[in-house]
Amino acid sequence: MRRNFALCITLLVAAAGWGTVLYAQESRVGGTWTIVSTEEPDTLDPQKTGAAVAAAIFQFVGEPLLAHDFSNRVVPGLADSWTISSDGLVWTFKLKAGAVFHNGTPITAQAVKASIERAIAPETKSPVAKAQLGPVKAVDAVDARTLRLTLSEPFAPLINNLGDPRLSPIDVRAAESAGSGFGRAPVSDGPYVVKEWVSGHHVTLARNPAFTWGPPYMHHGPAYIDQIIYRFIPDSATQVAAFESGEVSQLGLPPHDVARLQATKKYQIFRFLRKGVGEFLEFNVTKEPFSDIRLRRAMNYAINKDVLVKVVLEGLGEPAYGPLPPSIWGYWPGIVDYAPHYDPAKAKQLFAEAGFTPGPDGTLQKAGRPLAFTLYTTPADTGVRTAQLVQANLRGFGVRMDIQTYEFGTILEKFKKGDQQAGFMGYTYNEPDIMYIWFDSANIGSGLNFSHYADPKLDALIDAARHATNLTKRAAIYVDLQKYVVDKALWVPLWTNYNYIALQPWIKDAKIHPDGYVFLGDAYLTKR
Amino acid sequence: MQAFILRRLGAVVPVLLVVSVLVFLMSHLTPGDPATIMLGENASAADVARLRHELGLDRPLAVQYGRYLAGVLRGDLGRSIRSGRPVALEIWDRFPPTLQLTLGAMAIAAASGVLLGALAAAGRSGAADTIVMSTSLVGISMPSFWLGLLLILLFGLMLRWFPIAGGDDWRALVLPAVTLGAQAAAVIARLTRASLLDVLPSEFVRTARAKGLAAVRVLFRHALRNALIPVVTVMGLQFGALLGGAVIVESVFARSGLGRFAVAAVQSRDFPVIQGIVLFAAAVYALVNLSVDVAYLALDPRITYDR
Repeated sequence: MRRNFALCITLLVAAAGWGTVLYAQESRVGGTWTIVSTEEPDTLDPQKTGAAVAAAIFQFVGEPLLAHDFSNRVVPGLADSWTISSDGLVWTFKLKAGAVFHNGTPITAQAVKASIERAIAPETKSPVAKAQLGPVKAVDAVDARTLRLTLSEPFAPLINNLGDPRLSPIDVRAAESAGSGFGRAPVSDGPYVVKEWVSGHHVTLARNPAFTWGPPYMHHGPAYIDQIIYRFIPDSATQVAAFESGEVSQLGLPPHDVARLQATKKYQIFRFLRKGVGEFLEFNVTKEPFSDIRLRRAMNYAINKDVLVKVVLEGLGEPAYGPLPPSIWGYWPGIVDYAPHYDPAKAKQLFAEAGFTPGPDGTLQKAGRPLAFTLYTTPADTGVRTAQLVQANLRGFGVRMDIQTYEFGTILEKFKKGDQQAGFMGYTYNEPDIMYIWFDSANIGSGLNFSHYADPKLDALIDAARHATNLTKRAAIYVDLQKYVVDKALWVPLWTNYNYIALQPWIKDAKIHPDGYVFLGDAYLTKR
Repeated sequence: MQAFILRRLGAVVPVLLVVSVLVFLMSHLTPGDPATIMLGENASAADVARLRHELGLDRPLAVQYGRYLAGVLRGDLGRSIRSGRPVALEIWDRFPPTLQLTLGAMAIAAASGVLLGALAAAGRSGAADTIVMSTSLVGISMPSFWLGLLLILLFGLMLRWFPIAGGDDWRALVLPAVTLGAQAAAVIARLTRASLLDVLPSEFVRTARAKGLAAVRVLFRHALRNALIPVVTVMGLQFGALLGGAVIVESVFARSGLGRFAVAAVQSRDFPVIQGIVLFAAAVYALVNLSVDVAYLALDPRITYDR
């Protein structure tokens, strides 16, 4: 008995050793990679979701017409090649041959046309995908592999938007027969298939062995990792504990854990600048006191952003100076010198020019009325802490700021109505077209123009930027736009944080993409 | 007995009706029109009007309530705004994990609470009593998210006995159930002790001792059974509190469940889901209270509900 047992062990060890050798030589396929997410998606129907996490999951499930490579150039995705007419109105795509949906149905131009038409149709009530397509008014299948989009006006953001996973083609016939169940098991064209979704717990994605139409920066053929699990863990302390115990493989690190985990030297930790301004103070220009541009400018000189970065972000971020961060295409580096910096003397001078002078108790006042306002913010940690520091900062100038927190849904309603004097906001976006969302007068009231600032000149600049399909021209317009917004002092941009992603050490060839995610298309696991 | 249960079930109906009215009014009294919320940011006025008509929001309130109630009676709680799936299905997906957690916590709380309470009462003013009483004070005062994180650190990360955000097996249930049950255990322990101390000087206890029964038998068989009536009442109430407390524990241990779902629904203003959960929770509460009343019968034959 004992001898048999020993023999078994020997054989097992031999088998294991042999297995390892084989595997390193011939196969990288296998294993499960578990990614932590704080949020659970609303639905995985890419055309019906508004959730960022759904887009993140769809990075794996879908393959859009175009893709962005690691230098942020537009490269082929499902489309092999494309042409844009000189007036920018007709976009023609040649689809890759042999691509099929997850259920094996061939992806023809007709199928992609049906998918895009579904995204645009009002019945779909698409929160994001429809807006991304903008002025697309007709979709035609010229032949089996040629797709033509016709626009009613030129729309520059379209080239980037067509690389967004939410515009990946879906099998419309499968969607129709599945009804509302389609959002739990979408049929698309990406390297992974949604295998299981346990509400409140996880989504499991299984490798799509048929996938061979990846972007040029990916190896030819299906992905290596067998399963990707998105695990929903709302509490950040639990997330980190589960990562350290090895139960999960990849997570976005909370700032105060960064230094500690870096010091262990056990994990791969990536850093990138958030794609968006993390926090900015936005004035409502239709309300006292910030209807006065001199006060808005004074505030831009009075607030010390370096302190905010040091204290609120514990140094893990950068001060912000304009409406765009360096991580979004179109950002103008000159804005750092162009925009106001902390300058107490200049701030005092501007307050005085606006007619506010220190009263007996040091509070700034004009005609007996103190300079006071209420700032609205969401109860998020970083928001509240930033607000408290800004409050103390302004008190030094004799400005009284009260802080009022509202839950996110409520604050949006209040900002839209223009109840606030000033408020904190932040954003994440993939395109400089975010300027349209924050500043165009079309977005006052129903949209996100919370400064309620209407200016035909600003609208015209935004319009020009959206129409410029020539990149050099478009970039030049964004320089003007960034200067203009800073001139009008609609915001005090405060900071943009770094995002940190930690990976378990048993993954190889995982790469950080400039769009702010970990590209796992070439990655494989050494421990399975 | 059956007549009593039927009568009590009948009394649950008006309670649920009142809850359904409140729940229905909730979406009409809060600011923001459901149609606007469903269509999102960039809806046109025409779309909103069309959807309002489709949803019947342009009809009188009484008619709308009638339609809502008719739906509820058929088991149709509407569709989630967020996911587009039927609310009943969404609730059904998440009820089993919450029930498991609550039952697990209740079992731990009842067993340890009654046992410790009895020990404390038996050894009144001794070392056992002091230890139980002071531990239970800590148990009552300790917030569950903190206890949960401590347990994660100790048993999940350092000792690795239990998974932290683990799968579906019983091991994944242990830490959350202990966390959730700790407070209830402390309450039950203190109450059991107090109640036993009331009963122990009774004459029937003296008689039991006098006829030579073992101390353990006297304590558990005779005294405890009589002392349990108030304890069972409190257990019923605690069960309701546990269902509510599940919100935090489900978040800390990343479990699926109704509590977390309710919070997410509130955050995204998913009114049909909030209404569905409130109605469902009210029904569960009513049933738990009924079970408590029935439990009295089993504990004390002197209690009868039939005339």
